[in-house]
Amino acid sequence: MMSALAETTPALHKRRVRLAGMGALGLVGGGLWVLSAHALWHTSVPALALARVDPRSLFSAAFLKRSSAYERLLGIDRLLGELALLGVLAVYARRGRRLMRESAAGPVGTGMLLGMLGFAVVWLAEIPFSLVAVWWERRHGVSREGYVNSVVSGFLGLGGEFLFVSLALLISMGLARLTRRWWWAAAAPLFASLALLSSFLSVYLIPETEPLSDPATVGDVRSLARIEGIPGTRAEVQDVARFTTAPNAESVGFGPTRRLILWDTLLGGRFNRSEVRAVIAHELGHLAHHHILKRVGWLILFLIPATILITLATSRLGGLGRPEAVPLALLVFVGLQLITGPLTNIISRHEEAEADWSSLRATRDPRAERDLFVHLATSSLVDPDPPSWSYVLFDDHPTIVQRVAMVDAWQARNPGR
Amino acid sequence: MSRHRVRMVVRDDLERSRLTVGLRLILAIPLGVWLALWSIAAMAASILNWLATLALGRSPGPLHRFMAAYLKFTTQFYAYLRLAANPYPPFDGGDGYPIDLWIGPPERQGRLGVLLRLPLALPAIAIGAILAGSTSFPGLTGTSSDPISRFSPGGLAGTVSILGWFAILARGRMPRGLRDAAVYGISYGAQLWAYLLLLTDRYPDSDPMTAIGGLPLREDPIRLSGEDDLRRSRLTVLFRLPLSFPHLLWLFLWFLPALVAAIINWLATLALGRSPAPLHRFLASYLRYQVSVYAFMFLVANPFPGFTGAPGGYPLDALIAGPVRQSRWGVLFRLLLGLPALLILGVYSSLAWLLAIFGWCSSLVRGRMPRGMRNAAAMALRYQAQTLGYLLLLTPSYPYSGPCRSVPEGPRIEPAPDPPRGLPPLGLEGPGPPPAAEVG
Repeated sequence: MMSALAETTPALHKRRVRLAGMGALGLVGGGLWVLSAHALWHTSVPALALARVDPRSLFSAAFLKRSSAYERLLGIDRLLGELALLGVLAVYARRGRRLMRESAAGPVGTGMLLGMLGFAVVWLAEIPFSLVAVWWERRHGVSREGYVNSVVSGFLGLGGEFLFVSLALLISMGLARLTRRWWWAAAAPLFASLALLSSFLSVYLIPETEPLSDPATVGDVRSLARIEGIPGTRAEVQDVARFTTAPNAESVGFGPTRRLILWDTLLGGRFNRSEVRAVIAHELGHLAHHHILKRVGWLILFLIPATILITLATSRLGGLGRPEAVPLALLVFVGLQLITGPLTNIISRHEEAEADWSSLRATRDPRAERDLFVHLATSSLVDPDPPSWSYVLFDDHPTIVQRVAMVDAWQARNPGR
Repeated sequence: MSRHRVRMVVRDDLERSRLTVGLRLILAIPLGVWLALWSIAAMAASILNWLATLALGRSPGPLHRFMAAYLKFTTQFYAYLRLAANPYPPFDGGDGYPIDLWIGPPERQGRLGVLLRLPLALPAIAIGAILAGSTSFPGLTGTSSDPISRFSPGGLAGTVSILGWFAILARGRMPRGLRDAAVYGISYGAQLWAYLLLLTDRYPDSDPMTAIGGLPLREDPIRLSGEDDLRRSRLTVLFRLPLSFPHLLWLFLWFLPALVAAIINWLATLALGRSPAPLHRFLASYLRYQVSVYAFMFLVANPFPGFTGAPGGYPLDALIAGPVRQSRWGVLFRLLLGLPALLILGVYSSLAWLLAIFGWCSSLVRGRMPRGMRNAAAMALRYQAQTLGYLLLLTPSYPYSGPCRSVPEGPRIEPAPDPPRGLPPLGLEGPGPPPAAEVG
């Protein structure tokens, strides 16, 4: 009895010390996480008390009704699609391991197969929802994409998706087999590095682009880039008019690869020069405030808890090093993505607001900004004041009324403009 | 499974007269004229036969006999033209020619199948264009204007006959592989036309293992072995192409060092008269991996392959013998010597792609790969492996272009290198070797 106690006490002590050490490590890690999030959250937008803008003062009642109906169905379709996604992945997490018999590869290769097939069944399950979205967009004249083309391009797009999944699983499973439960510590920075590389090279992966040739717009890009402190930024035009009528633009890359991509639906006279300038200034604002790099930072902050949760969830199945754990890992990862979607949207809206503010400061043309937002809404049938559920779940940009309110706030701070 | 009612009968001894081979095209002109005339009559008869079979559910005896004689003559004509046989064929399509056709008596046929015969035959016509060449029945098909025949003009039979022409002029004999490849192509063409002309309702069989009786038993230093129950997972079939992308990327990444290794291997083999073992092992792994990737992609095998090309790691395995002494002259001119094989490989590659497309549809519907298609695609893969192995100096043996059977015991398989000590394996290796069985 005495000897058993003597043996137990040091073991208990060791366990307590270990737990305390883990707790301390967790606290330090948590603190670092919070500090990092705080640093990433920093914005150049001053504290603004945005006034409530009545959408009826900007849009006709008919448009508000039409855009609301348009976005409502798309939102419901998307919500149902995400529920179906979760359902399919839940079933796959239970039954997916049966597909191991379709592999002659080793554990990692089999894991890759299960990962790819997981995405394949998700794609299959989402076809009806994507077709409904295509139908609805075509019906409202927003999309020109055909149904068959939508399915075929989705199928062909799976090739690239499968490559990404395979690489991710190769890294995760390889690390899990080498370092067991601590794979996440190496995986998170490794994935962040890959995301960084991918962001750096993304400009070369965008199809159907050509350098911006219109001299006036080229001049606007040059002058605005100088004002925003990123001189030398190049702009390109992407040919999307075959598929959609919606206008858009994006900023990609960083350092020597940073680019401004303008959709051709934005050019060609549909938007006047002041409005295009506002779009350019907005996208340059993203580049000037390093939003792409900040996204990578947020990705690391997401990946650390996500990979730890995957480790915990898959430990019952022997850890992520085993292929049978892959379907469950997929469910956990995609589930976390969906759950944290509203948070991701908050971060995105925060950055978009900063880009809007940056644009206002660069163009000093609030009228053009206001016109742009109204024009964007009418061109893409955007509901200017969507219902809360849709805003929280899906909106990664501030609403049109919020953006107009910010214009008003800027104007109030800069009277005479 | 019952045997096909249209079968090739091969009594050819491979001996050829250099004189008649040298002038074969000119000598075939009278036969071609006669075939064209006969084709006009056959076309009219085929319409009558179609109507009669639709009404009676069976081809009338006289029409059947006439069409059978026409098809026999056509087969004999093309066997002569493609150098698969030596003597001048009779003009009546009579029996006894060294490459002959046996056609069963008329049988009952489903009327719906008769009504839709032409659309039903479209996949077989596409395969026939690659195997037999669309010009093999000019009286009925006209010119080779379809896209598939442009892709492989003359088809397998035509390509091997060109190569055979040179071989016969040099040696006075038709090489067995080339002859059998030509007979395989002609046999498929005959079955296709027998199906179209309502001589049978059996669909053409692309299986090279049953196309010719008495296939040679060979012990090639590079061959395929494995077992496959023809079952295919519909889910992995549906996504077969995108699922192959990681492998294709890996294959491409592997190709770059393999190319460097091949050049070094060429120099080393030229100097030593034998491929150095480490280089041979590396290139053999690359070749094995390539075979497993293509076998997966072309639906010749079902499971997702591993990434290492380890021996025995895949149900359809490339068995590669160890390094042997090679003639330095042969090594020096290997690329040049490989050109004829590359010509045939082009045809076999077209065949593999086409069979993959049809096999994809069939496997998706039935959950099984048709045996004939699987075996034909496996033969194409075997030829590809042998050609690449020859070019990479893994073997001095020239690729065997015809269908064949393999000896049960495989050649010596190199052991897989030990994994590095101190690290647990990453698990990319496949399971242990399956029992060997020939597939093509």
